[in-house]
Amino acid sequence: MYTNLAIPRQWSRLACFCRSLTSVEGQKLPQAGKSSDGISPPPRIPRGPTDILQALAATVGTDPTAAHYKYHDDPYLIPLSNFRKRSYALSAEAGKKAAAWVRDQHPELFTTREWDPPMKMKTPYFNADPHIEAFAPKPIYNDETKVTEEDLVYTIKNALLEDAVKVFELLGGVDNVNEELKLYFLQLICFYNEKEPVSNEWIEERWFSTATKERQATTWKLGGLADKIFTSMDPKTPEAYCSLIKGMAKYYQAERAYALSREALENNVPLSTDVYNSLLVCIGFLKEGVTLRIEALLELLNEMNQQGITPNTGTLTSCLRSLSAWGGGKTLQNMALQIIAEFKNIGIEPNLSAYYYLLCLFCKERGPRIDILSGILTELEKKDTLEPEDVADTSFFITAMSVCSEHLQDMNLAERVHKLLMKGDNYKLVGDAYKESIYYRHLVTVACRHAPFERTMELLDTLIPNIYVPEPTVMEEIIKVLELGGAGERLSETWSQLVVFGHARRLRLVERLLDAMCACISYQDEEVKSKIRKSAADMLKFYQMVEERNENVTTRTPVQKLSAVALSNIIDLCSTGEEPESWEAIQLAVNELGSASGAGRADVISTVATTAAKKGQHALAASALTYLAECGFPEAMSASVDTLSVMLNRSTEEVETMLQGTDLQGKLQESAMAVVQAYRMAKTGEPLRERDSSESSSDSESSSDEE
Amino acid sequence: MNNIIKFAQSATILPQWSPIFASQFHTSSALCRVVSGKYRITKKRDKPLTYEMANPPHYIAHRKSWNSWNTSSLKDGLRKSETAVEDEFIRRFITGTWHGLVCSEVIIKRQFNHIRVAVIIRRAVSPTKMYFLLGYSEEMLSNWIQCPVTLELQTVDSYQDVVFKYI
Repeated sequence: MYTNLAIPRQWSRLACFCRSLTSVEGQKLPQAGKSSDGISPPPRIPRGPTDILQALAATVGTDPTAAHYKYHDDPYLIPLSNFRKRSYALSAEAGKKAAAWVRDQHPELFTTREWDPPMKMKTPYFNADPHIEAFAPKPIYNDETKVTEEDLVYTIKNALLEDAVKVFELLGGVDNVNEELKLYFLQLICFYNEKEPVSNEWIEERWFSTATKERQATTWKLGGLADKIFTSMDPKTPEAYCSLIKGMAKYYQAERAYALSREALENNVPLSTDVYNSLLVCIGFLKEGVTLRIEALLELLNEMNQQGITPNTGTLTSCLRSLSAWGGGKTLQNMALQIIAEFKNIGIEPNLSAYYYLLCLFCKERGPRIDILSGILTELEKKDTLEPEDVADTSFFITAMSVCSEHLQDMNLAERVHKLLMKGDNYKLVGDAYKESIYYRHLVTVACRHAPFERTMELLDTLIPNIYVPEPTVMEEIIKVLELGGAGERLSETWSQLVVFGHARRLRLVERLLDAMCACISYQDEEVKSKIRKSAADMLKFYQMVEERNENVTTRTPVQKLSAVALSNIIDLCSTGEEPESWEAIQLAVNELGSASGAGRADVISTVATTAAKKGQHALAASALTYLAECGFPEAMSASVDTLSVMLNRSTEEVETMLQGTDLQGKLQESAMAVVQAYRMAKTGEPLRERDSSESSSDSESSSDEE
Repeated sequence: MNNIIKFAQSATILPQWSPIFASQFHTSSALCRVVSGKYRITKKRDKPLTYEMANPPHYIAHRKSWNSWNTSSLKDGLRKSETAVEDEFIRRFITGTWHGLVCSEVIIKRQFNHIRVAVIIRRAVSPTKMYFLLGYSEEMLSNWIQCPVTLELQTVDSYQDVVFKYI
C-alpha cells in the first residue's frame, strides 16, 4: 500500500529539482530585460517558505480589545490586572516546564514514533520523520555519562552552559580537548561569564524577568575556567585573544582587558573591531575625569586607525555609551555631536542604541530642555523597518517616551514616537514586560497632562485593560483628568476598574476618586448620578467586607479604613438621591464616622441631618448631629436647631426658646432628645448628663477619648 | 461466508495486508443501530445527558457533529488506525489530567500537522492552575504525538450548564 506511494513522491521530488534548474517545464523564468515581443515580465523575486504567511499576517492588525493571544480566549481565563497577567502566563510556562522535565527524566516513555506509517519503522526509538529537535528528549549529563566530543559540540551549539562545562570536565578538561573545540568553548564561556542563561525556549520567563538595570560592577570571574583555558591554549590564536578581551570588557574587568589588549599588540596579534568596541566601553573604569577620559577615547580611535581597522556602527554606539555614562555637560555633548558627524562622513549612521545614549546624554532630568528627539524621529521615520542590532536598542522607545513626558512634555512628539513603535513590526523593540509597562505609563501620563480630553479618552479606551493596566500613580492622573473633564459616567466606572485591576485596597486612590466624584456630581444627568451613588455605596460595602475579613485573618498589611473625609464624601454623594439603598449606605457611613480617622466635612453632615429629618429618619439625623457635636464643629448648633425644627415641625425661633428651657426630659421622643443633647454638647463643650442615645455615638465617644 | 472471514483473519500469507482485507467485512453482529451510542432511560428519569449524548449516532451531521475531525477515512487516507488510537489516547490523557473537570466530549480536530483539542471545563480550580494544566497537557501531548497540539477550552460554572435533558 505504501510502496506504490513512493513513486509519485520521488517524482514530485524530481520535478521540484527540475524546477530549480530554471528552464525546464517548457518555460523560461523571466529575467530582467526585454523580450522580442515587447512584453517584459517582472524579474522573479525569490521567496522564503514563510513569506506568504507573513504577508497574510501583515494584513491583519492587532485587536486592542482582545486579550493577548498567549491567554486563553475564555472570560474566566482572561486576565485583567497586572498581577494576573503575569501569573497566568508564567503558570502556563511552568506547566510546559513540568512536561519538559518529565520528558527529559523519562526519555524511555517518549519513544513512540508517530508521524510515519508503521511499516517504515527503522529503529525502535525516535524515528519521527522529520526528526524534530524540539520534541525529542534532551540529554542529561552527569558524572556517569559517557561523553564524546560531539556532546561538547551539541552543548556549545545550544548554549547549554552548565552541561557544556560538565562535558568538558568529563572529557578530561583542558589537556584532552583539541584546540578548535577549546576555542569554541572559550567563546561560549566568555560570552556568558560562566553563568547559565535563561533558555530561549521559555519566552514568558524572559519576558517577565524583572529587568533590574544591570549593575555596572566587575562580575568577571577572575582565574575562572576561561582564564585556565586561555593559558592552556598554545599557540594563542587571535580569536582566543579577542574572545577573552571581549568577555572581560563585557563584565567590566576593564584593567585586565586593557592589559591583555596591550599584550596582544606587543605580540603582533591582530585585534578585531569588536574588541576595540568593547574596550571603548571600558574607558570610564580606567581613567578619572572628563578630559582624561576623552583623551583616552580619542587615543583608542587613533590606534584603530593606525592598525587599519575599520569602525562599524558598534564603534559609534560604544563611543556614545561611554560618553553618556560620564555624566552631562556641554563638553561631552559637543564631543558626541562631533563623533556622530565624523561617523556620518564615513557613511555610518547611528542605530537605535546610539540614539538611546544620545537621549541619555542630552535630556537630563534637571538639565535644560533640549529637543533632539524630534530630529531623531525624523531620521527614524525615513526608515522602512528598524532592525535590532544592539541590546540597548530595546531601551530606545521607553527612553524616548519618558523624554516626551518628563523632559519635553509634548503630546505631539509622544504620538509620533508611538506611531513609530506601532509601524510594521517595530513593536518587537519594546523590550520586556517591565519596559512595556513603563513605556505606557509615560504615554498615558503625557496624554493625561497635555492632550485634549477626547484624545486622551480614545487612547485610554484602546490601551486599557488588555494592552496596559495602569499603575496606581497613573490611575491618579486618569482620575484627575476625568474630574477636570467632568466625565461622571467614566468616574462611576472607575471604581469597578479599580476593583478589577486590584487597586481597590489602595485608600489614597479611593479617596481621590471620591473627591473627584463629589466635585462633579452636581452637573451630571440623573442617570449618571444614580450610577455614581451606586458605586459610592459599593465602596462603603467593599471596605466593610475587607474590615470583617481583617478581623478574622491577621494579615501582614491590614487594609486601612476609609477616613472621615471619604465617608462624608460618600454621604454627600448618596444624599443626592432618593433610593432606599443610598440611604442605607448613608446610615452605614454615619455609623462608621465615629471610628474613622480625621474629621468629616461638617457642611455635608449637617445638611444630611436636616434632609434625614425631613425624610423622617430621625435616628440617623440624631447620630449625625451627635458626631458633629462631639467633633466640636461650630455648625453643630445651628444644624441641631434646624433639624429640631423640622422634627418638631416648629419654627427655628420657637425651637431656640424651647432649648433655653431646662426641663425637656420626657416631653420629647428619644431621637429628638438626642439632638437636644448634641446641641447642648456643642454649646457647652460637654453633655449635660450621661447619654444613652445610640450605640454608635457611644462608640464614637470612646474612640475620641483615645485620641 | 464465515469461512471466508476466518480465512481472511487467519491468513498468514500476507500478514501486513490483513487489516485491509479484514476491513472489507463486518464481523460483529449488527447491534449498532439498536444499542450503541444510545443511553438507557432510567427509572427515575434523572440521568443527565449533554446535547451530544442526547442525540443518537444517526443524527451525526444532522443535529450534531463529529468528535474527531480528520481525513484518514477519505479515499487513500493515511494512518487510519494510528489516528484512531492517538485520538483515544488524547481523550484519556485529557480526562485524566483534567480530572473531574471535563464536562463534554473531547473534540479532536486535525489540520495539517496541527491537532486542536476542544473541551468544556468546569470552573472548579483557579485560573492559575488551569493555565498550568494547559501548558502541561499541550507540551506533553505534542511531545508524544510529535506535532503542535493546541487546547481550546471553554469554561462553564458547573456540570448543570451542559445538561441538555434528563432521561
